[in-house]
Amino acid sequence: MRGLAPYAVRSLRARPARTGLTLAGIALGVAVLLAGLATNGGIEASIDRTVALLVGRADLRIEAFTEQGLSARTVAAIEQTPGVAVVAPAITRRTYLTPTAGRPDLAPPVDVVGIDPDVESRVRDLVLARGSPLLEADEAVALITDRLAREDGIDLGSDLTLLGVGEPVRVRVVGILEGDGPIIGSAGRTVIVPILTADRLQSRTGGGDGVDDGGLPPLEGTPEGASPSAESASPTAPGPATPDAVAGVPATGISRVDVVLASGADPVAVTDAIESALVFEPYILERPADVAAGLRASTSDFRATTGLLAAVALFAGAFLIANTLAMTVVERIRELGLLRAAGATRAQILRLVTVQAVALGIVGSLIGVVGGSLLSLAIVSSLRSIGSVPVDRPDLSAAVLAVAFAAGLAVTVLAAIDPARRAAAVSPVEALRVRGAGRGRVATRILWLVAVLGLVAVVGSLALPAGKPPEGSGRSLAVYALLLAAVLAAPVVLVPLGGVAGSLFRPLLRLEERLARAAIARDRGRSSITVGALIVGLAMIVALGAVATNARGAATAWLDDVVPGDEVLTAIAPVPLDEASPEVDLEAIDGVVRASPIATFNLAHSGQRLTGAALVGADLADDGRLRFVAGDRNDALAALDAGGVAIVPRGVADRLGLVLDDVLALPASDGSLTELRVVGIVERSLPAAGGDAVIVGWPAALGWFGVRGADAFAIRYAPGAPAGARTAVEAIATERALTVNPIARVEGALTTALDRVFGLFDLLAFAAVIVAALGIVNTLSMDVWERVREIGVLRATGMTRRQVWRVVVVEAGILGIVAVVVGVIAGLGVAALLIVTAGGSVRGVPFELPWPTLALAVVLGVGLAMLAAAWPARIASRIEIAQAVRSE
Amino acid sequence: MASTQPMPADGPSPSGAVGPATHPAPTVLEARDLMKRYPLASGPVEAVRGVSLQVRAGEFVALMGPSGSGKTTLLQLLGGLDRPSSGEVVLEGERISHLDDDAATRLRRDRTGFVFQSFNLIPLLDVIENVGLPFTIAGQDVRSGEPAERIRDAIALVDLTGKEDHKPHELSAGEQQRVAIARALVTRPAILLADEPTGNLDYTTGTEILEALWRSCVDRGQTVVLVTHDAKAAAYADRVLVISDGRILEDIDLGRREDHAAAPLITRLAQLGL
Repeated sequence: MRGLAPYAVRSLRARPARTGLTLAGIALGVAVLLAGLATNGGIEASIDRTVALLVGRADLRIEAFTEQGLSARTVAAIEQTPGVAVVAPAITRRTYLTPTAGRPDLAPPVDVVGIDPDVESRVRDLVLARGSPLLEADEAVALITDRLAREDGIDLGSDLTLLGVGEPVRVRVVGILEGDGPIIGSAGRTVIVPILTADRLQSRTGGGDGVDDGGLPPLEGTPEGASPSAESASPTAPGPATPDAVAGVPATGISRVDVVLASGADPVAVTDAIESALVFEPYILERPADVAAGLRASTSDFRATTGLLAAVALFAGAFLIANTLAMTVVERIRELGLLRAAGATRAQILRLVTVQAVALGIVGSLIGVVGGSLLSLAIVSSLRSIGSVPVDRPDLSAAVLAVAFAAGLAVTVLAAIDPARRAAAVSPVEALRVRGAGRGRVATRILWLVAVLGLVAVVGSLALPAGKPPEGSGRSLAVYALLLAAVLAAPVVLVPLGGVAGSLFRPLLRLEERLARAAIARDRGRSSITVGALIVGLAMIVALGAVATNARGAATAWLDDVVPGDEVLTAIAPVPLDEASPEVDLEAIDGVVRASPIATFNLAHSGQRLTGAALVGADLADDGRLRFVAGDRNDALAALDAGGVAIVPRGVADRLGLVLDDVLALPASDGSLTELRVVGIVERSLPAAGGDAVIVGWPAALGWFGVRGADAFAIRYAPGAPAGARTAVEAIATERALTVNPIARVEGALTTALDRVFGLFDLLAFAAVIVAALGIVNTLSMDVWERVREIGVLRATGMTRRQVWRVVVVEAGILGIVAVVVGVIAGLGVAALLIVTAGGSVRGVPFELPWPTLALAVVLGVGLAMLAAAWPARIASRIEIAQAVRSE
Repeated sequence: MASTQPMPADGPSPSGAVGPATHPAPTVLEARDLMKRYPLASGPVEAVRGVSLQVRAGEFVALMGPSGSGKTTLLQLLGGLDRPSSGEVVLEGERISHLDDDAATRLRRDRTGFVFQSFNLIPLLDVIENVGLPFTIAGQDVRSGEPAERIRDAIALVDLTGKEDHKPHELSAGEQQRVAIARALVTRPAILLADEPTGNLDYTTGTEILEALWRSCVDRGQTVVLVTHDAKAAAYADRVLVISDGRILEDIDLGRREDHAAAPLITRLAQLGL
């Protein structure tokens, strides 16, 4: 074999174009795989970093369940629990920086985190790039993230004015934090202040100014000293004797408390003790693993799809490699026969082809690793975040690079098995007598396909998110199975479908079409494999297009179905619905039909977290919102405003097994159990992290669930409302620190976010199609080579170069059409599978065919195939007749 | 002995002659000082060295010679499949050796016919479609009109009537080659060029093919140029040009004979040391 190994490599070098083509296919497949693995690894690492930053060294996190937050008594109760070493309370709030002369426009919101500087350093490290740390719990100073500093042009010593519920709070920047700070979903715009300073943001009386040059005047229209209306509706259950106040901790409104256990403390025992001690306010107790699991769940679909696409690209690459090596065997059939006649054993021939595969695999995979690294960097810089998880760099660790390299090599070698076996089976006599290798048996190829797909599925599963629930893995496997079925259907449908496809060319190119079909039928196995690769790539493009179209529909359907307005005014803090509510002023504007308050809040049911939404039933009825699937619309909406009832979205009803008139028992903010009768089931409601929100009326929200006010107001304009109406609404919004969000802008933002993610998926799927197109180049080159004599005779008989060129291009066109038909069917099947298993959010949205994507699939499938045929067609058309007819 | 000029046969007139055309037929094909060089790393190789010849209408000419003598290259130059390095080929008064590709393609389609050692039929097409391939290439319907008539005629000439709907794999090797001959004749070309058409066939089948070619000459006045290394095949020709080392070594006029006896030719070849 040592003697034949250099021969194997020399043989590859002797055919630089085909070797280059194959290397390109392997490299592309490996590059897409690596990009998927590295991006997913980067997300995984980012989740770990985010969790570490989020909870630091805390062993437990207690989060407030209601808007009132946790109280100082709760903090004290935690502190007194045996086994607790550190208790770090914090307030988090989203608000705006007031415009300044240097920044006249309202910038995107910032997340304010109030911390106790004394204990914070014992929970997490806030690494400063510049400046000094916070020292006192009640200073008017702040640390800001480096990104916020850069985006808003803020530096050390700058004064920031934070909009609050009461007066704005002015702080001076004393430190710049490295990176994006400890808050996820803030897009790196975080301001960290002492906890008592943060408390002033949510206090109607506590605004003010700790900075020497004086404070800003209070915001107009904000009643000073007015108690939040919900305050009184939040009774506190009597609990064990605990101090009402803790030094340096606000009396109430604490968002979360991070807890570090004492060394050697039993986490389970401490958790139990805390749970029995916390009786003052509803809370959620989480461990860091819970936080990480939540983040992983929020990115799992993205990572699963990336993994799937990466595997698909590798799958397409396997076809290309198999065809190339098969082609090499066919071309060298005489050489192989000669080697066998000269005494080479079958095993030596087998190894000869395997050596070629290994050489191709090593070089192609190395190129792919380099390309994939660059691709993953580009993907990450384009994405920046997936859901609430920031992604700053891909995982290009040695392990990931090794997996991608090994996968590329393994798939290459696996793809070489069939050609190698065929080469080894060459009989010296036959090889020297006839031209062309024996055709591979269909059964062998099917086995080969299953084996390749199995390997690719294993490799693809490496790119699946860790801890993905079984149904997620099952979904990926189902997609693989569907794709495999489509590929296996290719040999069956190739000839009949090819005949139909050929009829499109027949009227103009009768002879070319017949010859093209004859070429396809010449080696149906090879043609099928070529079509199969293209089918897989196109199917994924169609599937992603369909899923994207329906995801866009689902993402925006709630805007039309639920929101009773043309635009939404959002508040930085709950706006009490009292006599000073902006609702009154807004509805007084000429041209405004209604200003409907909306709030969302936490609910718990049988240990599951739900989201509640407070809406005005009459407004929904007047505006024609909500699509009822059960219950009487008018009665249900009227009952909503009376209280004691709930309208449940279908997804939640299915999950909880609720039907009309069931009673939903929910814990109220005072710990008692509240019963709400289900009066309606609707297609969808406001989207939330735990599924669509359960709709309750405002009386229930304010009375039982601790809602203090509206988070938003939906504004509905009268048809033909005067232009001044919007201006007047904007004026009130500015005055009341509300942000105007036209529905179109919300819809646009949602669509843009989806486009960004699906754009990436499309890119990966496109790479798979490119690999498949390279396969077409290879297959058609092989066809041309095998038909060189036939082409010579046709040319001798009077066929023009142009006609020969057209035969090859029409052949590609027929293959492309077959691939498009099967690929579109398979793609829609995959899309249906993904949509059906995606759960509530997409259900109820009428399935929409992704026409632009289907058009793209046709253009890519047929156009790219015919384009790929241009080169082999040129070779065919330039065949020298004299040599061709002489060639034996 | 090397010569670029046709030479009369030295030997006695072959027996069994039916006699060459009693009145001189016009020249259909003429080669003038044809040269074909192939550039190789070790230096140019001359496959054809200054060959001149004439073929008259209805004549059956055989190019005969040992392997590597240049006979196939000469045939390809004569048929416009390849271009000479120098010299020219004139077909029916038109210089064809330096036509552009389109013109050369039209020439092959309309005025020449080729038969090769391998039959090279299109597997998907039946006999009618394979025979009618030149018409199909030209965009004509092979199932109606004059093309259909000519196809029927060509199929009858090669004695394949009744097998019009057969696909190539349903025919014997000899039948497949006869389809190839019919395909070459269907356009009624000015000249039919056959390169070792019996090379892949057994004696009996090869004889059938030679009979078909000869009959096309006799019955239809078809001009045929046959390349062969087989004296028995060459004996079907009216005239045999012996090629050696890229030159015409001998021009042996056998005359048109029905018995196709090879003995006189073999005798003459022996005299030449071949």
